[in-house]
Amino acid sequence: MASESAQKRRHLRFEIFRYNPEDQESTPQLQSFELDETPYMSLFLALNQIREKQDPSLQFDFACRSAICGSCAMMVNGRPSLACRTLTEDLPELIRLHPLPAFALIGDLSVDTGTWFRAMNERVGAWIHEQQAFDPNAREEPMNDDLAQAIYEGDRCIECGCCVAGCGIANIQPEFYGAAGLNRIARFMMDPRDKREAGDWFEVVSSDEGVFACVGLMACHDICPKELPLLEVHAYLRRRMLVSRIR
Amino acid sequence: MKTLPGSGKIILPADESRKQLYYELISGGSGLLLALFMWGHLLLVGSILLGARGFDWIAGILEDYYIAQPTVAVIIFAFLVHAVTASRKIPAQLHERKAMQQLAKGLRDAGRGRPLASHEYSAFKPHLESMLWIWQVRTGMVMLVLGSSHLILLGLDIFTPLFGVTTGIEAVSSLERVQAGLWPLYGLLLLCVEFHASVGLYRLMVKWGIGSRITRPTLRRIERVMFWLLLGLGILTLVVLAGWLSPPLAFLITD
Amino acid sequence: MEHIETTDVLVIGGGLAGERCAIEAVSAGQDVVILSVVPPRRSHSCAAQGGMQAALGNCIKAGGDSPDVHFLDTVRGSDWGADQEVARMFAEEAPIAARELAHMGVPWTRVRPGMNRYFIKGQRVEIDEPAEKAGLIMHRDFGGTAKWRACYAAAGTGHALLYAVDSQVVRLGIDVRDRMEVVALIHEGGRCWGAVARCLRTGRHRAFLARATVIATGGFGRIYGQYTTNATINEGTGASVALDTGIVPLGNMEAIQFHPTVLVPSGILITEGCRGDGGYLLDKNMQRFMVEAEPDKQELASRDVVSRHMMQCMKDGRGVDTPAGQHLWLDLRHLGEKHLTTKLREVWDICRDFVGLNPAKDLIPVRPTQHYSMGGVRVNKDGHAYGMAGLFAAGEAACWDMHGFNRLGGNSLAETIVAGRIVGRSVAKFAAGSSLSVNTALALSCVKDAERRAGDWLGRSGSGPGVYAIRDAIAETMIKRVGIFRDGNELEQAVAELKQSLARVDQAVLRSKVPGMNPELSFALRLKGMARLALVTAMGALARTESRGAHFRRDYPLRDDAGWLNRTLVRWPRDAAEPSFSYEPVGLIDLPPGHRGYGSAERIEMTVPITAYNDRVADGQNAQGRQASDEPIGSRMKWGEH
Ligand SMILES: Cc1cc2nc3c(=O)[nH]c(=O)nc-3n(C[C@H](O)[C@H](O)[C@H](O)COP(=O)(O)OP(=O)(O)OC[C@H]3O[C@@H](n4cnc5c(N)ncnc54)[C@H](O)[C@@H]3O)c2cc1C
Ligand code: HEM
Ligand code: HEM
Ligand code: SF4
Ligand code: F3S
Ligand code: FES
Repeated sequence: MASESAQKRRHLRFEIFRYNPEDQESTPQLQSFELDETPYMSLFLALNQIREKQDPSLQFDFACRSAICGSCAMMVNGRPSLACRTLTEDLPELIRLHPLPAFALIGDLSVDTGTWFRAMNERVGAWIHEQQAFDPNAREEPMNDDLAQAIYEGDRCIECGCCVAGCGIANIQPEFYGAAGLNRIARFMMDPRDKREAGDWFEVVSSDEGVFACVGLMACHDICPKELPLLEVHAYLRRRMLVSRIR
Repeated sequence: MKTLPGSGKIILPADESRKQLYYELISGGSGLLLALFMWGHLLLVGSILLGARGFDWIAGILEDYYIAQPTVAVIIFAFLVHAVTASRKIPAQLHERKAMQQLAKGLRDAGRGRPLASHEYSAFKPHLESMLWIWQVRTGMVMLVLGSSHLILLGLDIFTPLFGVTTGIEAVSSLERVQAGLWPLYGLLLLCVEFHASVGLYRLMVKWGIGSRITRPTLRRIERVMFWLLLGLGILTLVVLAGWLSPPLAFLITD
Repeated sequence: MEHIETTDVLVIGGGLAGERCAIEAVSAGQDVVILSVVPPRRSHSCAAQGGMQAALGNCIKAGGDSPDVHFLDTVRGSDWGADQEVARMFAEEAPIAARELAHMGVPWTRVRPGMNRYFIKGQRVEIDEPAEKAGLIMHRDFGGTAKWRACYAAAGTGHALLYAVDSQVVRLGIDVRDRMEVVALIHEGGRCWGAVARCLRTGRHRAFLARATVIATGGFGRIYGQYTTNATINEGTGASVALDTGIVPLGNMEAIQFHPTVLVPSGILITEGCRGDGGYLLDKNMQRFMVEAEPDKQELASRDVVSRHMMQCMKDGRGVDTPAGQHLWLDLRHLGEKHLTTKLREVWDICRDFVGLNPAKDLIPVRPTQHYSMGGVRVNKDGHAYGMAGLFAAGEAACWDMHGFNRLGGNSLAETIVAGRIVGRSVAKFAAGSSLSVNTALALSCVKDAERRAGDWLGRSGSGPGVYAIRDAIAETMIKRVGIFRDGNELEQAVAELKQSLARVDQAVLRSKVPGMNPELSFALRLKGMARLALVTAMGALARTESRGAHFRRDYPLRDDAGWLNRTLVRWPRDAAEPSFSYEPVGLIDLPPGHRGYGSAERIEMTVPITAYNDRVADGQNAQGRQASDEPIGSRMKWGEH
């Protein structure tokens, strides 16, 4: 396992964006740090070491540190990535870290993805719009397992915000649902428990905040750390919208 | 107007959404039409490789059977419509364009200069398509200027005897025009159009999931091959038009 | 009054338990505010992988399952430390909870009719699932259960659940404040009136007044530092603000679960579902040591048992040595790539991303690591905290006590939803039946206190120790001396070390005084609570001179039902230097203590008859401050119907 990376120990240099809006003396700038690489070092370990040993005021977000909670997305050498699952061995010796664009900055590398996603989920109505109330005494509705798996695939988005930050359009058009929002829509659209019909969806999806704001930059798909098939989702939505008008 | 249960957020009225769908269809459809036309265009103009006679022969057929005149009208219209509908997506503000460019550059360069990953998977495959879109916009802008000049000239030529000998397309006037010093502009237009069209078609396929059985890398490869092939053919044509090379296939058409 | 807000119900914690509880209260017409240190979907519930136990009995291997069987498994799993009435309520409501989640949109894996291939105890088995069950919720095998019972969504069950539950929170428009960390409860004369929270964006404090307050802050695994599967946010602030009241007791803090299969060196959990689906544990000689150790359940004995066998195996020199310490192997290769990339997809990703392994070809390095806290804020069966009216707790933060001394895999997700439903109902009822009659001066003085504590940290200077050094010292003590195998000497040593660490917290000095949330200050404000939780855990373990469930004493290797069939309660009276311990009966006993079916069969038998024990329960618990519940104690028991 650790063989190869244990041998070549590198000396890493970090350039980290710093700005604390709560501090009047703070101005946006890059700060440099240096660190010795250790085997299987992730940016989670590296950033914590920097905070604990070098600059305790450094702000960043981690929770699960296992690529499932979506807290730790940041720009790593220009690319939105989950820091906890990015190993330094996959990076050059100079590592530049910036907060995600397109989201409100909280401080240093920490951004407010929570507020953005809550608003998005409200706007697209990201919950099952069922017709019947839950009946505690009834057996569950059967569902084909293949369909369940397809829904699960779309459900896997962890709301990390990488696809939003990496999309040129989402960066300049704050109303755009982003790839994550479109994916969320598709997830509910294919769920038979959701009783919204083509007409209900049309207004949400076809608007210029929806799928037709997307110009097909494809960054979302290439960046998504959960490897969701976002382009297929977009194509699916486009075709659905077209068909729902033809009919 | 409609409100969703629970949150009470207001969603756009339906006709607004319908408009977006139509815009998308029009800009994509006109792009597709133009791209397909450009293949035919290449064959037409490429007929100069057969010599002036070959060129005139094809032009003659197109005009005699009234293929050229309506096509010209349709293409001019499509060109304008595409320019208008497609450019609605171009960021209006300078700082927006800058932000997009910076992002696209970062994504393009992210994978560069990294040591080889110790395992097969790496999240750092470079991403080019964002940058390609920016170049699509840029080439589109260039085409708007050069393409419309070209169309105006051509239009005048087809319907009036302004250039050359007769009304309509003929080798003499084409050769005259290109050799009169327009070749650099044609060269630039050619580069732009081939790039813009091949990337545009690739994007169109991906956006609508056409040929989703073909993977994206394959589509990208097809796009590249198309680009170089068409560009090569176009350059060859241009070189002949500019008079630096005598028509290589002229021997095919002998009395 | 910009420092004060009011609401009907204040829910502290946006994980599964907190959100499910909030939904229940809102549905009953109460206004709810949820506070959370992270956006709710980032709560640690999202990390649960393997499944949620609910006795639906849908597939062949779950045939004959029922809440009764689930109840028996849960009590056996708990090593008889559980409150059997709560376990009963839980087992009965779990199937409803699972179906309700299906209704909310969870993409449960479903029964595929026809021939299915499974791996059972090392054998490839083909089972024909009947067509009439097609499309019902599927189950997978988990440790310590008689039937296949865990409902699952690939290996992302917690994620799927949390997103479905939070979608209902969004739908209902429930007010969620993320990056708001509760630092103290507001209470007076045994009545809780809400909490003071510190904003993790600005560093400012604010009081939230409410008629009912719910602690749903999850576990406190981070007192084990990096030696835990828990998220970095599981620092036990919920339990420690309850401890700070001096009145509310924490229950069974020494009952700490270690999960057998945690990835080395990253410390990331590899779900029990892997073994449920047929994965093996191997030693360095590629021997399946669990087959020798537990011929019947093999890899699927309960977690405490498997973890101990693994530790023993490594102590016997059968572990693989690496610079990062010893480990054993988890073998999933025979399950095949298709299974691994669908039903265990999250495991596949974790192996690939964090250690560059392909589980279809490579063995996975694992060792046991701290995972779950059975203990927490002691509550009655309604979820009402002992000794404090208006304070409730649910989920991992609570000691509702269906887990006793060992939680079964998959029972925790089920608990969050079931408790959310049950506790939510009683919270709403309590809030509806009371009015907010509290002096705002109390709230303001609590805010002032909190500000003063932060100010103290910022004001302190000199050459004291750093906060992270103290945290590391606590973690080393916990993992070395309060781990899987415990003994008196080690625990005494641990208590001494932890007392020292606790004392050092007051001398510690911050190196960064920047305004705003200040990450170092934010951590420092939690440190004392963490040190106290660690200390009460170690002291509880030292006092309990028996072995029960996850609490294993080498010097007292037997379960002692004569002396220790009870629950540890610990309080830390205000201004006292030391915590005080007391004990209460575990609850009414229906299933008499016996052999669990795995692990050691030897034990010290009860000396009193069950009826005599049961007669003492109400008085014993009332004496500890148990609140009266809506239904009298014992009303849910089914005496002997199993
Ligand atoms: C890696 C892993 C895998 C697991 N797999 C399974 C499984 O397969 N099956 C199973 O049944 N169980 C599993 N569990 C256990 C189960 O996931 C947890 O016990 C359960 O999700 C806890 O839910 P909760 O709602 O109580 O707490 P959490 O989900 O931890 O939520 C706690 C909430 O409280 C908030 N909070 C904390 N402190 C404060 C404060 N001071 N102020 C305000 N808010 C605060 C947090 O922001 C968070 O929103 C697993 C656990 C782990 C760690
Ligand atoms: C008049 C000058 C032109 C301008 C300003 C222009 C601009 C653009 C822009 C900005 C786009 C991106 C639109 C989007 O992604 O929604 C685009 C797409 C496209 N263009 Fe053009 N273009 C021009 C001419 C042409 C020509 C001559 C062709 C054909 C050869 C063409 C073919 C395409 C195609 C196929 C697309 C893809 C359509 C899509 O993605 O939906 N364009 N154009
Ligand atoms: C309206 C229909 C069109 C007609 C009839 C037409 C005709 C011609 C002709 C006759 C030539 C030869 C040179 C000349 O005579 O000046 C030519 C060249 C060229 N045209 Fe067009 N054209 C049309 C539209 C377009 C459009 C829309 C574009 C791109 C925006 C375009 C791009 C070019 C280029 C790049 C060349 C250079 C030749 C090459 O190397 O291929 N044309 N065209
Ligand atoms: S779609 Fe992918 S990149 Fe976007 S938020 Fe979800 S997980 Fe992140
Ligand atoms: S990057 Fe953006 S433009 Fe579309 S394809 Fe992805 S959302
Ligand atoms: S810390 Fe949870 S995704 Fe990185």
